[in-house]
Amino acid sequence: MIFSWTLLKEETRMFDLFTTMFKEEWRLHSTLFGSLNFALFPVLIFGIAFMGAFLLPFIRSVMDLSVLVFLMHGNFALLGIMVGSFGLMGKEIMNRRFGQASLIAYSARSLPVSEKRLFLNFVVKDIVYYFILWVLPFCMGFILAAPLMGMSLYYPLLTLLTLTLSFLTGLCAVFLLSAGYSRSKTAFAVVCAIAAASAALFVFGFNGGATALFPPLAVFYSFSAESLAISVGVILILFTLSMVFFTSEYQSSEKHYKNRHPMLSQRLALLPEHDLVAKDFIDLYRSGIGIGQTLFSFLLPLGLIWLILSLMGGFLPPENLLLIFAVVTGVISSTMYTWLTEFDAIASYMFLPLSVSSVIKAKIESFTVLQAVPVIFLTGVALYSGTAAYIPHALVVSLCISFFALSVLVRLCGLSPTTLIYNARIFLTYMLLIGPLILVLIILTFTSPLFAFAGILLVIPSWYFIQSGFEKWDNTDFAGF
Amino acid sequence: MPSVIKTDTYTKLFGDLRAVDSVSLSVEKGSLFGLLGQNGSGKTTMIKMLTGQMKPSSGSAQVLDIDPSNDPVPVREAVGIIPEQETPPSFLTAEEYLAFVGKIRHIEGIEEKSDWWFDYLDFGDKRDVLCKDLSRGTRQKLMFAQAFLHTPALALIDEPLINLDPVMQRKVKQFLAEYVQSGNTIFLSTHILEIAEEICTDFAILHKGKLLHTGTVRELTENNIHLDDFFMDLVERGNENV
Repeated sequence: MIFSWTLLKEETRMFDLFTTMFKEEWRLHSTLFGSLNFALFPVLIFGIAFMGAFLLPFIRSVMDLSVLVFLMHGNFALLGIMVGSFGLMGKEIMNRRFGQASLIAYSARSLPVSEKRLFLNFVVKDIVYYFILWVLPFCMGFILAAPLMGMSLYYPLLTLLTLTLSFLTGLCAVFLLSAGYSRSKTAFAVVCAIAAASAALFVFGFNGGATALFPPLAVFYSFSAESLAISVGVILILFTLSMVFFTSEYQSSEKHYKNRHPMLSQRLALLPEHDLVAKDFIDLYRSGIGIGQTLFSFLLPLGLIWLILSLMGGFLPPENLLLIFAVVTGVISSTMYTWLTEFDAIASYMFLPLSVSSVIKAKIESFTVLQAVPVIFLTGVALYSGTAAYIPHALVVSLCISFFALSVLVRLCGLSPTTLIYNARIFLTYMLLIGPLILVLIILTFTSPLFAFAGILLVIPSWYFIQSGFEKWDNTDFAGF
Repeated sequence: MPSVIKTDTYTKLFGDLRAVDSVSLSVEKGSLFGLLGQNGSGKTTMIKMLTGQMKPSSGSAQVLDIDPSNDPVPVREAVGIIPEQETPPSFLTAEEYLAFVGKIRHIEGIEEKSDWWFDYLDFGDKRDVLCKDLSRGTRQKLMFAQAFLHTPALALIDEPLINLDPVMQRKVKQFLAEYVQSGNTIFLSTHILEIAEEICTDFAILHKGKLLHTGTVRELTENNIHLDDFFMDLVERGNENV
């Protein structure tokens, strides 16, 4: 009896913790964007999916449906990765953005709750919160559109299931990677290398294909109890292992570093804002964000996308595959701007004789230097896939999209892209400016690869967005810092 | 004495809240001016507006003959600022941060100047530690050093002593007193009245955004009135009038 009472009390406490974390997440977002703006975000996602459903027949006529299915599942896995990464870096980000603030997830020292229990609640909260915010509204858009289009509900409902599985796979994978990384960096690198090699071997050596590499896709293409069990099993294994390996980093070690700034600043002297750019690169290196993000937010998703695109070689000519890949690389490369804005709040600069526009200029210069990564990566992919003749096409379209998306981010979000993008109005504008453009460019390059050079036209709107962004953010009060 | 800061009906609204409400004041060159008030009285907002970090809703100001809302960067070039929260960049070391500020402010001989501050504020052993790993007190020292690296004619400092130990507080107070004696001006925002009474020459009391009083500490001392009592009495009357 005593045991059951204790258990009940414990469960109540767990639920209280969960609801408090849930409120905390909501308040964090609603404080940043305003309650209404943030509450409208799921409505917006629903609207996009609902209207997008009616475009499916048109998209199907120009694009293989498997590409769309893959992109949707890939995006939701990526969303899981992003949500997990933000959550795990939450304390650091909160402190940089709001000063001495933290999340309940990091309060094991002041609350009588074990860190593993806090972490478990944190994971469950993330799953429920972002399911309601992203996954459910997106799928509901398709589900409600299906009867109006005379479609059966089978595929929309299946999509709800498989996109949820994709999201959970991404989320739990990043939790495991992060837990492993905090235990041993060497072991983590070895595990990553083995996982990548096994995946490649499985896909190419055993003809496992994309569906075998990513279980939620297998569920989508051939739904069965077995495929569902495998997909859920993978998530449970990732989750259980992350719980086993989880450790919170409480010991703040006082490491000593050499003074690198003057030398690096001198080396970058060609850049107008070289003092700030040097700081950005020191930040990227010392925070681990440079390597971590290159690996998890760039090479890993793009590697996976390429693997799966290359499996479509039978349907599409190799140069088309390369150009689709270049467009996707351009979009993903533009997120490098968010890497550069994660270190400090604008407050760190505002008491120095610097304008917001000069800080943004420096970030754009750092971003430009970072574009060497996609250039090298795309060149490597083109050489590997035997499409070296299309390297100029791929680089031009990729870089033009990357800089255009950057300019839109600068105009809409200034120095806070990772947070402001959750504002429904901003997100809608971003999607409307980027989405159709990507589709048009992909469709045009299908008609002729030479259309890749049409990307150069984006220089004009990019210039406009950046200049108007400078003016906008120089005249904005940062009352909240 | 000429004024280094002059405001005329300076006002800042946040929605319905009048964070700073028609404040007109003048700060003379060579004074150690204390802006006193409770938490949320508008002190930090006032400093942010005077340094061009925030635009006023109405009214005007001149800081070293520069309008901060029209020329925010030149104002920040001319003055030194210690913000309310100690926010040096996370991944630079203390030494790198001072070098970084030196570059931004085009300061000659930054290494020697940094060495002097590391020595004076006794945190040379932390010069190669990342700012994010420094204690709050050490970060406060670092922010103090960056504000005075270029020996500004005017420094606007927000609660500069709050995280410092008593020994360091005494050292900093001594520095501030000597700094104004050499002809510079300090605009100090604080709610610690003992400190204000000890080191300030002039003061202003801000309450719920309104300026309740400006005067000199000497006037109070000559009339045997403690700043603490004067402040409490004024704030109580201010509450009655609101």
